[in-house]
Amino acid sequence: MARLELIDLSKRYGEHAVVKGVTLDVAEGEFLVLLGPSGCGKTTTLRMIAGFVEPSGGTARIGGIDVTYLPPWRRNTGMVFQSYALFPHMTVMENVAFGLEMRKLPKGEIAARAREALRLVRLDAFAERLPRQLSGGQQQRVALARALAIRPAVLLLDEPLSNLDAKLREEVRIEIRELQRQLGLTTIMVTHDQEEALTVADRLVVMADGEIRQIGTQRDLYERPADRFVAGFVGRSIFLDGRIVEPGIFESAGGLRLHSASHVPPGPATLALRPERLSLEPERSLDNRLPGRVEFVSYLGAVLEAHVRLSPADRVVVQLPNRAGSAPSVGDEVEVGWSREAGLVFAGQERTGAVEERT
Amino acid sequence: MSVLSPSMGTRRRSPSFGAAGLVAPATIYVGVGLLIPLAILFRYSLNRFVPGQFMVDALTLENYVKFFTDTYYTGVLWRTVRVAIVTTAFCVVMGFPLAYVLARTRSRYKNLLIMLVVLPLFVGNAVRAAGWMVAFGNRGLVNASLVGAGLIQQPIEIMFTETAVIVGIIAVNLPFMVLTLQSVIEGIDRAVEEAAFNLGASPIHMARRVLLPLAMPGILAGTILTFILAMNAYATPVLLGGPRFQMMGPLVYNQFVQQNNWPFGGAIAFILMIATLVLTLASSLLVQSRYRHAAG
Repeated sequence: MARLELIDLSKRYGEHAVVKGVTLDVAEGEFLVLLGPSGCGKTTTLRMIAGFVEPSGGTARIGGIDVTYLPPWRRNTGMVFQSYALFPHMTVMENVAFGLEMRKLPKGEIAARAREALRLVRLDAFAERLPRQLSGGQQQRVALARALAIRPAVLLLDEPLSNLDAKLREEVRIEIRELQRQLGLTTIMVTHDQEEALTVADRLVVMADGEIRQIGTQRDLYERPADRFVAGFVGRSIFLDGRIVEPGIFESAGGLRLHSASHVPPGPATLALRPERLSLEPERSLDNRLPGRVEFVSYLGAVLEAHVRLSPADRVVVQLPNRAGSAPSVGDEVEVGWSREAGLVFAGQERTGAVEERT
Repeated sequence: MSVLSPSMGTRRRSPSFGAAGLVAPATIYVGVGLLIPLAILFRYSLNRFVPGQFMVDALTLENYVKFFTDTYYTGVLWRTVRVAIVTTAFCVVMGFPLAYVLARTRSRYKNLLIMLVVLPLFVGNAVRAAGWMVAFGNRGLVNASLVGAGLIQQPIEIMFTETAVIVGIIAVNLPFMVLTLQSVIEGIDRAVEEAAFNLGASPIHMARRVLLPLAMPGILAGTILTFILAMNAYATPVLLGGPRFQMMGPLVYNQFVQQNNWPFGGAIAFILMIATLVLTLASSLLVQSRYRHAAG
């Protein structure tokens, strides 16, 4: 349970910069999630905190102590690995007790604390099993118990749920969150799954290309994304390319003049729209009301999505609640509307998928 | 599937037929090429050798008695076991770190490095031993360098000593050990080592508690392989040990070819085989009882 500070932490392999100056301040007991596509540097950042990767520059502090160049076994971090990394030749009990033995605690205390950690994850009945005799979900909990038993200053979770099936994943992430709160553990989790990130985090850090794009709460990232990348990565956005022609007026590539509440100066720009903020039955008072033709409809159960063409170059997606009798069909002429606050404008134009995919 | 002729789909074959077909060639080969000659050899070892008459049919243990009552022969057996144990120990100790680096390197030259380990196997035993003879001689490379550097006055005697044989056998066996260990270490998840570090284990503790137990099947396999090779070494002891330094392999050959004493040669061959088997089994049982979890 300690504060974790990263100051301008970076990692280069030769010419290739994987992490470019990450600065973070994680409060005691906070659950912080590093979110980003694969290759964005989030795992490297986590591994630098654990001490598996030596930083090329910057500082890492745990509880005020500089750990930047300490080997992993001298830092008090508890890590849950993506593959769980249980010791296959040791029983569940021996796995959980390993870290306590390394700390040279008296035998009685080792047994008591290992048992307590197993009780926390409800696996005390499985103490004498070998890891291979457990299910994936149980192995995951052993890995968690092993990391908790040493009472780490910082708990590190590296995509801990990615090997579980979807249903189990939902249960386990809530379990992890409850345990973390109950124990008041400072926790950093790495994931590329935004739903997972949104469920558990106190604060989220969106990374791309080795840099932090935005830090904030779920609401911050969703309502006020810092850039086009965050707008596309957290939740879903439809992007229209165009330019700001005068303050508050965005002209799309297809020639639509749209009102926006942004203060972006005139010049090339991108307009981002959330499908659920668009409506097919716009009220008269809305700033933007445009005629269009429905080109495609997806039926998703609770909601429907209509893809509507507004101009030869502009198409938007409108999400509607699935009410009886209201479904649009392909070819319908409709009117799409949204308020000027619903559209977010980012200066400049990035290619779609501006983030390079790297493994 | 409908394209296939109907007989393909409907023909029923017993599942064991396919397996038998796969196993048969090697089984027959081993049966004819190994077991039958061994049986004949064992029968010969119970015959009596009469000088001038070559071999006389008999059922006697006198060849075995002769071996175990003559300190010269028991000395050769003991020396062979000692050399095999020492060389195998060196192979494990030197081979493990090298195999570990090979298994864990992310270098793009990894395949080249593995080739470098395999390369010595391209040179035959005898050719290599001949090279060692040149290096170890009284005026050979080693002595010439040491004398030249002023480190010693008189050339030291390396050729035809136990040291020369041990050095030679290690050079032959080391690649087998390294390759065996490397493939096993590669199968150990790197994250398991990291987990040990993360839990507070220093590299030494990690190696003792995690890496070595998990690599034990490989250590056992490599040890058995190099031990058997060392017990049965022939070219190296002949060329580097010379006539004074006898080991079991050359001894068998001498009895057959130089003494023409097939019964005694057969007995020695069997003693060598049984000794190798017993020591190998004993060591693997010992290791398995200590690391019962790791093997599975």
